[in-house]
Amino acid sequence: MHRTWKIASIVVAGMVVIALSGLANARDKKMDGQALFKEHCKVCHGADSDNGEYTPMTLIQDQWEEFFSDTYVDTHKDVVDTAHGGKKVTEVITPEMLEKIKKFAIDHAADSEHPMTCG
Amino acid sequence: MRTKQILLAVTVAGLLATPAVARKTYSHQKYFEHYEGTKTCLKCHKKQARTFFHSQHYQWKAEASNVVGAEGKKLGKINQINDYCTNPVPMWIGEYVTPEGKVVEEGCSKCHPGNGTLPGEELTDAEMENMDCLICHASGYRRGLYETEEGGWEWKPILWKNQVGLDSVSRRISLPTRTMCLRCHAASGGGANFKRGDLEYKQTDCDTDFDVHMASDGNDMQCIDCHAGEDHRIPGPGADIAGNEMPDRNIKCDNDDCHGTEPHGQAILDTHTKRVFCTACHIPVFAKENPTNMVRDWSKGIYSEEKGKHVYTATFEKEVKPVLRWWNGKTSHMQEAGKPVATNDRGEIMMAVPVGSKDDPGSRLFAFKEYHAVMPVLTEKRWLLPIRTGVFYVSGDMTDAVRQATSELYGLDNAEFDWMPTVHYMGLFHEVSPASQALGCLDCHSDGGRIDWAGLGYEGDPLLALFQKSH
Repeated sequence: MHRTWKIASIVVAGMVVIALSGLANARDKKMDGQALFKEHCKVCHGADSDNGEYTPMTLIQDQWEEFFSDTYVDTHKDVVDTAHGGKKVTEVITPEMLEKIKKFAIDHAADSEHPMTCG
Repeated sequence: MRTKQILLAVTVAGLLATPAVARKTYSHQKYFEHYEGTKTCLKCHKKQARTFFHSQHYQWKAEASNVVGAEGKKLGKINQINDYCTNPVPMWIGEYVTPEGKVVEEGCSKCHPGNGTLPGEELTDAEMENMDCLICHASGYRRGLYETEEGGWEWKPILWKNQVGLDSVSRRISLPTRTMCLRCHAASGGGANFKRGDLEYKQTDCDTDFDVHMASDGNDMQCIDCHAGEDHRIPGPGADIAGNEMPDRNIKCDNDDCHGTEPHGQAILDTHTKRVFCTACHIPVFAKENPTNMVRDWSKGIYSEEKGKHVYTATFEKEVKPVLRWWNGKTSHMQEAGKPVATNDRGEIMMAVPVGSKDDPGSRLFAFKEYHAVMPVLTEKRWLLPIRTGVFYVSGDMTDAVRQATSELYGLDNAEFDWMPTVHYMGLFHEVSPASQALGCLDCHSDGGRIDWAGLGYEGDPLLALFQKSH
């Protein structure tokens, strides 16, 4: 009886984790580029960060293009996102999310018409 | 953790030396290695800098030969009081921050092509280095307001920490494009199209219905195609800007290079051009995209939850019909600071009044924006007063905002002042509609037509009078 209860608890806990993860994914899918930048980039690249402060207007559009096409994966593949379950950044940020972040960064780069921080 | 930091440092270094950025070539690719501020430009462009120092764009004043009573004087926003943001001197530079931490004002120098110092009278090395060439000549250049080590303020490139990016944008040099001009000129008066009415951000990329001249899908004209200057002097100040740097080079629509004096091919319409300027019919409405400020009452401040600051009471309108006024090229009542105001028969202080009349053969009917405001006036001397708008936006204390500004501009402390209404006429020359959308005969010559004939000096519709006479 005790063993059955234990298994049931594990199953329920697993389901909760999956559900929460699903909710998080659904939330991420609804987020725009700015919100995603804040959620996933600013945590390590905020003001006075040891990792360097990065907002869209830190770089020009060409530099962002270069970063997303050539540098992002190599430099972030081993970086762990402690704010998202300790998973690797490159796993947490899906290609769809990355595309939104990239568009936001380029649209608001230092040489765009509307340079922005991410708020 | 240390490994992560090293990895990221390498990334950043790699990122800031991206080969793709270096591969692109721009107009000034070969002329310098690194942009180090204005001194980089001055290595080759001292002559141009000297001409720019004397320009209206830098001095914010110029010879005012078209202003009645201002012969020999230099006038401009720096020594006038206007009824939008009043005067730039007491509001030149600095952050104004609300108790909630929101920056609500950075000063009028945001649109001055200098690095933050108020322009002086004498050309010095410091003045030369104060010029910010890139703001008008580098397409990707943007700047922000930063505190100096001495505790003052300065405008400097937002890329100041990113030399590779800064080197890239500072090499993209060209004559000013429409986009560059509109960054400042479309936001005068405090926001998008607040002031001018006919200059909007939309014109960076608009269609022919919006503006036949600037339409990206049509003539795609740049501002400097008409406002083509020399030595940083720009022709065509319109009807309500006092300084006129090139009085011998007025911008006209009806010269031979553009539309000629008989552009319609119909005698009845071409006859009109003798007394009716093109804009009267071809700008049937203005403020087509962003509503323009039509009334601003500085005496009635309110707190805006939406904007998170105190604001003046205002009326904004879109698709506004211009008023028509006679104009012979001269303007009166430009409101030089420190001069008593003059009022019309309605008790309104007159600002930028077009000179002309029906009986003046040199006058034609032009399209204008008629703007109204309520402004502070020094009780004793009847001078228009400036407002330190940033103080008001933060605290809502208008008396303090007026007194601080008056102290700085006039050297008068604890000024006693009254509130008075103003009326201000601003010439409209942009947002010209296609011919198919121009006014037709009945828009003016009919019962309920848009023209105030009596206001123009007629007893009634002159066409109707002509008919009655002939019958």
